[in-house]
Amino acid sequence: MSPQRFLSKSESQVPMTAQALVAHVLESGDFYAAVAVHGIADARQRQRLEERLFGSRRDVLMLARWEHTPANVLDALSRLEHMPLARRVVKHRNTGGSTLKHQFSQSDDPALTGLLALHANTPAPLLLQIAMGDHDQVVLKGLARNPSAQPEVLRLLAQRFPRRFDKEIASHAAVPVDLLATLYHRGDKFVRAAVLAHKHVPEALLLQAAKSTETLILRALVKHPQLPAALVDTLSQHKDNAIRAALATRADLPVHLTARLALDESDSVRRAVACRADLAPTLMQMLAEDHDPWVRQWLGRNPMAGKHVLQKLALDIHEDVRRAVARNPNCPITLLEKLASDHRSWVRAAVAYQPNVTSCLMASLARDSAVDVLSGVAANPHTAPALLKRLVFSEELDVRRGVILNPAAGPEILLPLLQDPYYLHRVMLASSPKLSDQDKWQLRDDPDARVRFALFQWLAARALRPVADRYFYRRKA
Amino acid sequence: MNTILVVAEHRRGEVRPVTLELITAAQQLKTAADDRVLLAIIGQEAESLASQLQWAGVDEIIACKTNSAEFEPELAEQAVSALIVSRKPIAVLLPHSVDSLGYATAVAVKGGYGYATDVFKLAYDGGALVATRGGYNQKVNVEVDFPGHACAVMTIRGGAFKPVETVAAPLLTVDDRSELSARSRPLEFIEQGGGGDIDITTVEFIMSIGRGIGEEANVEDFRELADNIDATLCCSRPIADAGWLPKSRQVGQSGKVVSACKLYVAMGISGSIQHMAGMKHVSTIVAVNTDPGASIFTIAKYGIVADIFEIQEELQAQLA
Repeated sequence: MSPQRFLSKSESQVPMTAQALVAHVLESGDFYAAVAVHGIADARQRQRLEERLFGSRRDVLMLARWEHTPANVLDALSRLEHMPLARRVVKHRNTGGSTLKHQFSQSDDPALTGLLALHANTPAPLLLQIAMGDHDQVVLKGLARNPSAQPEVLRLLAQRFPRRFDKEIASHAAVPVDLLATLYHRGDKFVRAAVLAHKHVPEALLLQAAKSTETLILRALVKHPQLPAALVDTLSQHKDNAIRAALATRADLPVHLTARLALDESDSVRRAVACRADLAPTLMQMLAEDHDPWVRQWLGRNPMAGKHVLQKLALDIHEDVRRAVARNPNCPITLLEKLASDHRSWVRAAVAYQPNVTSCLMASLARDSAVDVLSGVAANPHTAPALLKRLVFSEELDVRRGVILNPAAGPEILLPLLQDPYYLHRVMLASSPKLSDQDKWQLRDDPDARVRFALFQWLAARALRPVADRYFYRRKA
Repeated sequence: MNTILVVAEHRRGEVRPVTLELITAAQQLKTAADDRVLLAIIGQEAESLASQLQWAGVDEIIACKTNSAEFEPELAEQAVSALIVSRKPIAVLLPHSVDSLGYATAVAVKGGYGYATDVFKLAYDGGALVATRGGYNQKVNVEVDFPGHACAVMTIRGGAFKPVETVAAPLLTVDDRSELSARSRPLEFIEQGGGGDIDITTVEFIMSIGRGIGEEANVEDFRELADNIDATLCCSRPIADAGWLPKSRQVGQSGKVVSACKLYVAMGISGSIQHMAGMKHVSTIVAVNTDPGASIFTIAKYGIVADIFEIQEELQAQLA
């Protein structure tokens, strides 16, 4: 007889409040669960959690570099007086703005300023302060690239150091329009190309650039939606293949130019043409015969490709072309049925992932032996629950994961996977909204720390809302 | 002086690359300058195959000639057992492969040797050999020692050790075992259909895509780029899970270790620990990511903080 462990009621039920959850973690002494619940603990509990978390130098260092360490723990780490961790904390991507600000006020380390200039969470006033005062070129270059940099920061950099960071500023999403013009006029061809590639480039600059003979400038120009119409025809005969290929992707390309580019000598140009939604049937028939497999492949994926074209491509010698047909959202079911028995598993797998496959076809694919095909069946929301219940016990972990990822798989199918030998599957289920907290509670003693962390993180997030509501309610009262 | 015996694996006249990983593992077990690494190759063509085994770190190649052209577990078992008796190694390293599992257990049990399978780490603890392997369905790592055994037979997990790269000219000894006979005889070899996809553990140049790819149509853009630059396109787990690339192209803990890769271009891969487990050993890693704080930059030799689509477009334009 197997040994049994009887659980007391408090052990077997999920703690319902933040306080009870933290109390459970404190009692268990689980390090990773403590990290997860730190954010919902009250002041007294937090102090006890920190005694557990920051008890050894090794743990502190590990926490400062662990990718999952939450912002509140990083903030607590940054305030540890006996152990300076400023660089590690500032380097961490989860560190919040207030912690970064605190670090900046506490330190005059130039390396720290460089890290702050790069950090996406650095508050805007701090970035502006760095832009005003700093002289280090590496720091300022990082600042010009920081996606959180405000227009004032970019303007200030452009004023303080003309031409030095123009390429970075011109590529920044927040660059003011008037500054783009300034950068264009004083910049070299690389800066000009960056300005022209910007989605807010003024039309006047496009007209100026149209007179350029520089290939780099024209490559940037040809992608712009506001390209002057007169230039479209000229560029379709440009000697640079990349310019013609980019032109072939334009939605406003006249029909006669599409036909011309479909006969282009460059494979890359014809590939771009094959993706177009407005191809005439004759052009599609022609491209279906193209010697370049990639042209045929892009055509096979084209949702506007007609039935006859798809039928022809479904017999292609290249498996990637046949797969492209099987992935086409408008592939007829009769073709999918043929492709489901293709001799290459990668083609059959494409059918298995198709949303418009019949249940009969899905049942036949479920008998396949290839892991890619079975993974597709497992992940397909149209697969019958009875099939999914069988696939849960597949020996292939990829197939079992397919079931976990299946949006239609309900709790009755997923429950056995809480015992899955692969830790990642248990991590995924610990954060799954499909399973009840009570079901997941069995993972609290999981041998893998990542699973326990995911579970307590999920429970802490759930417990956070009532705490916040109570706080709001009390304050209002 | 200790002796470590490595058994090479070969198929259709070619030594399998995993053999080179075993040589590295054996080198790690050497504790004294006069410790010896012996590399045995078993089969009818053993002598001619020995020319493919001229690697640094091997002191002696033993071409163990048998009378069978194909791999036969019983002959391998008898040959390895005889070598253990005559050469007295402290450790016998075999690949953790279907071939080895066909005879390694029998060698260990019949000889009364220590035995561990799927070993991915080897070390000494106070002079005692300790092997690390997965346990409880890979939920935990288990350290195994072999008290009371003069020799331990171990199958080594593929990709766990970096393949040896330096050539040398070890001593060659021919050991004629053509008198060995098996109690069974293979009648026919039937080729498996299989997926037929490329084996990513053997390729040298990989371009890999991750979550940053966004949608399936973009995968095709990168496949085209990889084709154009003669790279093999691989991926992180979410891409394979979405069915956008075959599982055989997945790099990482739940995928494969790209043991032969020399250049790895990571496009839009943040660098989870699980992914890095499959590629962090690569000597040249180029990472492209918009997030300067992405973990992948901690192991990259060259880092580009940029949009992967811009890089892809630019490379395509250059190639066009």
